Amino acid sequence: MGGPGAADRSLGRTRSRLLRGALHSLLLAAVALFFLNFNLVGTASPSKRFSQDLVYAWFGDEAWLYPRPSERARGAPAQPHVVVVMLDESALALRGARWPVPVQFHAQFLAELEVLRPRAILLDFLLIDPAPRVDTCDLLGVAARLRSEGIAVYLAVTRPDDLAPMDAVGCRDSSGAPIRATQVFTPVAVQRQADDSDFVGRRYPFEQRADDAPAGTGITSAAVRMYCDATSGPAACVGRLTRALPAEAGFELAWSPEGDPFNQHWSHASCEEIASPVRAILNQPALPRESKCPPVATLFATALLSPEEDPTLGAANERLFSLADGAFLMVGGDFRGSGDLVTTPLHTLLPGVYYHAVALQNLLAFDGRPKVRKEFRTPRIAFYCYDLLVLWLLAAIFLWRQHWLHGVRPLDLSPFELSPAARGWIAPFFARWPTPAWILAATLLLLLMATYRSLQLIAVATIVVILVAIELRVAGKGEIQERVRGLLLYLGAMSLSLAVIVLAVWVGYRWLRLPPGDWLGYFSFAAFGFFVAHTAILEFGRRIDELYVARTAGGQTS
Amino acid sequence: MKRWLLALLSVATAAGVPADEPAPPPQHDACQVPDNRILGPRTLNRPLPLLAGDPTGGFHPACAVPWATLSPNNQPLAVVGCYRGNLLQVANDSACGRGTGPLWVSLRWVVTSGEARQSQTRTTACQQLETGTYAATRDFQPDCVPQNAAPAAPVRANTPTTGATPTTGATPASAPTSSTAPTPAPAPRPDH
Repeated sequence: MGGPGAADRSLGRTRSRLLRGALHSLLLAAVALFFLNFNLVGTASPSKRFSQDLVYAWFGDEAWLYPRPSERARGAPAQPHVVVVMLDESALALRGARWPVPVQFHAQFLAELEVLRPRAILLDFLLIDPAPRVDTCDLLGVAARLRSEGIAVYLAVTRPDDLAPMDAVGCRDSSGAPIRATQVFTPVAVQRQADDSDFVGRRYPFEQRADDAPAGTGITSAAVRMYCDATSGPAACVGRLTRALPAEAGFELAWSPEGDPFNQHWSHASCEEIASPVRAILNQPALPRESKCPPVATLFATALLSPEEDPTLGAANERLFSLADGAFLMVGGDFRGSGDLVTTPLHTLLPGVYYHAVALQNLLAFDGRPKVRKEFRTPRIAFYCYDLLVLWLLAAIFLWRQHWLHGVRPLDLSPFELSPAARGWIAPFFARWPTPAWILAATLLLLLMATYRSLQLIAVATIVVILVAIELRVAGKGEIQERVRGLLLYLGAMSLSLAVIVLAVWVGYRWLRLPPGDWLGYFSFAAFGFFVAHTAILEFGRRIDELYVARTAGGQTS
Repeated sequence: MKRWLLALLSVATAAGVPADEPAPPPQHDACQVPDNRILGPRTLNRPLPLLAGDPTGGFHPACAVPWATLSPNNQPLAVVGCYRGNLLQVANDSACGRGTGPLWVSLRWVVTSGEARQSQTRTTACQQLETGTYAATRDFQPDCVPQNAAPAAPVRANTPTTGATPTTGATPASAPTSSTAPTPAPAPRPDH
């Protein structure tokens, strides 16, 4: 029986079938990739961004997604961390000042911060208006002292020459040597980026530069500069982060829905805001509501200046020193009506300094390798090829499932479809009533479900239970067994697809540094048969393939 | 119609929070403690930041010195002045060199004799971020600086509190600002 020739033919057929399956799944994956990125009038961008927000809302407190340093680890020298120091009207009033913050106050405040021995200090204020000479010299003097102690001081600027007016004052130190602003301050950009679709600040610029300027020649953004200066090779770090990126490029900010535990000692709001995926299933708001407990440890300047304002920092300030020792202090303002607010994905509005603080937290959490969208990567097509590869695997699993399902259920019915027996029972049941009656009843039911969202889940669950009961009642034993096998097959294929997605997410997030904007797309693709609607293209492809085979066979015979 | 608009505007203006009025000083004021004395530092042996100046002319960072420099014999220091419950003045005028005048230190960094009494009334701190958005214009300091005008002095505290009698310090809004500085003080602003 058979022989070497038959075995070769069988092998050839198998190879041909595998090749055809691979090509068909590739075609399906390409169609899916197109639809996942089909940005008709910009509709794909908001859905991707919302998907990403959901991922951070549900898992943002997990270390595998966003490995922030824990409160316990804070204070350890090996764990640099970020602390926001918040100036407000009350803090200014303690020193008899008022908004806008005078340079004199900044000078005093820097001197107070010196005691905390931070790693670095950012002043998220634009000191671009003229100030009395003595105040400017005080500020430069304190900054020079901090720098001599190894505490870098960063100052927000909008242009490279913003520090020139300070230099023009001609300040000198106690020995008579001139103090130049550029020697004591590191100028940093504080420009923000927001998504066009919803104006939420999800990404952080690497640098501020003109569109036509080469990469790496702009003013480095605050968080990037502060992070890189803390590494062993600052210039190489900045070069690596800004290299070969378009001017509008930025890295994606991971957010945690949780507030920093330290903030609970002053915040009225709970710092443990967790949005469970179950809430979304139950048709409740999927994203956390506005939280007044920010995700970065925050020290109010009033508390720092006056122990009466916050006696909980320890009788010997031990909690204060534990918080700020070796920290990156980012000094920002929270003034009513100043407009210095940033819209965040998980905490709605926060004072602008948190934008820089979270960016620095991201750089620290991801070891200077933050997540960057595909559209800013080079070569861009390589990252879309990665997506295609993932979708190819998912499509192959889908087609394999379809193939096996066809074997299990010759009628090629989905395990979720109604059986002919059930249809045969339901149709006469409704046919007892006049057509207008049941159509109006169905319309009323759908109208109620559309109006009252709480009814949707209840109605869907009720309908599913009723349909299952009808199937169990009217379908034959063999039919039910086939359906159960089909469901098991579906679950098996889903498990395999989920394994592929987990692997894709791990490789994409950990190694390719891609943000989680595509994750829910993968999932919906696999779970809900997203591309079932597009199998028509496969049928069309098969038909073309048959024509090609027929033409080739015809050519050979002739 | 115009009258309605005017009425609405007046109500909105009257109901608005005064934009540039500093918050009042805290209720439990260290400046109200009689015969207050500085007993020692609470800086983990780190240098104490000292300020020079006075409430009228403003405070300036002077230097940072160890406690031993302020009190060589580790003796309590008399508080000779107090400002808004958070700055204490000591008689020492030489710790940062000559010409500084009596120096000031923040209450945050020192332990005082008045703390024991005040600790009984201490409560948990409560703060909140002002993240509300308002569809209104605030009394905003514009960017422009008048031509040929000397840089105006920044707003100073105007309640002299030096001297042996501790004072609480008045809110700046309750007293007029310097008559020699009619132009708004151009000063730094938060980025936005």
